[in-house]
Amino acid sequence: MNLQFNEDQLDALREFMNVSIGAATASMASLLDAFGTMHIPKIDICNSNELGAKIQESIDMRSMYFVSKQLFTGKFGGECMFVISEDSSMNLGRYLYGIENPSFDEINDAVIELTNILTSTIVSRLTEELSTQVQFFVPSLQFLDSASIVDEEDVVEYSKIIIISTILDFKDQQIVGNIYILTKDEAIESLKVLIDKKIEEIYG
Amino acid sequence: MIEIRYPDVLLDSLENGHMIIDEHFVVNYWNRWLAINTQINKEDIVGKNLQEFYPDINYKVLYRKIKTALTIGTPTFYDTNSSKKFISINRNKVTTSSLKLMQQQVTISPYIASENRVMISIYDISELFEAKLLIKKEMNTVNKLNQKLEADREIIDKNIMIMKTSVNGIIKDVSSFFCSSFDIQRDEIIGKNISIFKSDDVSELIYKELWETIKNKKPWNGELKYKGLRAQEKWLQSRIMPIFDTHGEIHEFSAVYHDITNEKLLAELYITDSLTKLYNRAHFDETINMIVKHQRKVDSDFILVLVDIDHFKSINDTYGHQVGDEALVSVAKTLKSSLRDNDLVARWGGEEFVIMLKNITIDEAEIIVEKIRVNIEKSIIKKDIKVTASFGLTKYIAGEDSKEIFKRADDALYEAKNSGRNRVVLK
Repeated sequence: MNLQFNEDQLDALREFMNVSIGAATASMASLLDAFGTMHIPKIDICNSNELGAKIQESIDMRSMYFVSKQLFTGKFGGECMFVISEDSSMNLGRYLYGIENPSFDEINDAVIELTNILTSTIVSRLTEELSTQVQFFVPSLQFLDSASIVDEEDVVEYSKIIIISTILDFKDQQIVGNIYILTKDEAIESLKVLIDKKIEEIYG
Repeated sequence: MIEIRYPDVLLDSLENGHMIIDEHFVVNYWNRWLAINTQINKEDIVGKNLQEFYPDINYKVLYRKIKTALTIGTPTFYDTNSSKKFISINRNKVTTSSLKLMQQQVTISPYIASENRVMISIYDISELFEAKLLIKKEMNTVNKLNQKLEADREIIDKNIMIMKTSVNGIIKDVSSFFCSSFDIQRDEIIGKNISIFKSDDVSELIYKELWETIKNKKPWNGELKYKGLRAQEKWLQSRIMPIFDTHGEIHEFSAVYHDITNEKLLAELYITDSLTKLYNRAHFDETINMIVKHQRKVDSDFILVLVDIDHFKSINDTYGHQVGDEALVSVAKTLKSSLRDNDLVARWGGEEFVIMLKNITIDEAEIIVEKIRVNIEKSIIKKDIKVTASFGLTKYIAGEDSKEIFKRADDALYEAKNSGRNRVVLK
């Protein structure tokens, strides 16, 4: 199984992701009444055992994190992971619930809600661009220290992983989070087929 | 594909709760599952606002979730672990239930987007949640045990000398305390053979007995002297145990040591003559008295030899006490080096020494003692200074007490002295 992307495929994927991120930014502004920015997505293809290190590169190791994961299935399937620090989560809970001291449950639900919006908009738009459909599953949430975000044993069964990552930043509300769209082996193969099909459609 | 003509029948047959509401929370549909579980009939709630029946729901959040589902066109969810319930439904499970209210998974799916209607689906995940709680509880117990185990392990590591080796003696692990006791780093010895610690002071017979015992799947207890990498030596009270695999075969060896170097030094000081480093009279007395007391045949076969340096007083008078001491040390060395490991030699007092030659005939003893006499005669104490010694020897007769054999040996020595000194007399 060749899991490497050629330059054309990578360019197309970057373009689809830019569109998806744009859609997510717009959705958040409309649904949450907050202006957030999202960084240009970074695309990494790495071995599954490198995932933990890749994620730790982009977060503060001293903080505790709420880690929300939502699975999606279809021709392009995978896992969307949203990693948000304890401080940012508190600010998110305050903002979405409109109270100064949100409870742990309220913070959890706020993180779930933001994950929902992010995953749905980014992945839905990406799959729309790829002319396919996906089904979303209930997000799960954990409160973890930075070293425990990815359990190496959980990912060893995959050989390759694509990490599409971006940073979400609500400056006014002081909310920053990292979003990772993870997909593995067979799904990477499917993604390549879908991208090729789309390139064919666009450029004939 | 068949056309589903009665969707309400389909929704009523599902084992989940389904309601359809609009963005203002007016209930459009309420399925049978909800009616049964909430005790609110379809007829009583449809057309009315959900807020009338469930005022505790956070409608600001619900509104946002409805708007999200309708805008994005995908389901939105509530946190499944939340202790706050979307709608309270009592749980009737009587046995082993830790949940009084049903734990719910609530999904808000777009229904008719153009009419701003969504379907709220409620799934009973109580059993799953209970299992999660149980696992969490068990994990907490395991974590606590692990923490205790880790703390205990740390105490053991820092305070007890432990070593693990493979079946062929390759060091696999050692405790920090072992390393600090020998002033070594763990990396210096891991992968090396245990023989790097072997000291010449421990008889090969001891090692043989050790290996025989542990190879026969039994633990071995005893004293070993280990030589560190940086020349320091330690006497260790050791317990070496075979560790078995699941098939009952020896998988590795585990050793626990206790440093008894100081005790050994003290014990040695107690029985050693400080000048000559031979055993002292007290130790010799104790040994011979034990033999006489127990009368074991194997111990009773010995020859007693009394040795006296000739003209010792005149050496002291002529050359001084320092030379006298040197003469005593020299004779002691000659005696020690001329005897076998299992013979016993001690300083008896002044310029006298006593020897116990074990398991030997009187003729053989006479030959050995004669050689010792010659060796002493040839030894040079200091420039031009030599000494000689006289010897009285006798064989122990079973049943007699120590006074009797000493009397006979003393008589023999007296005779040697009187008949010109520097000679061996047998009685």
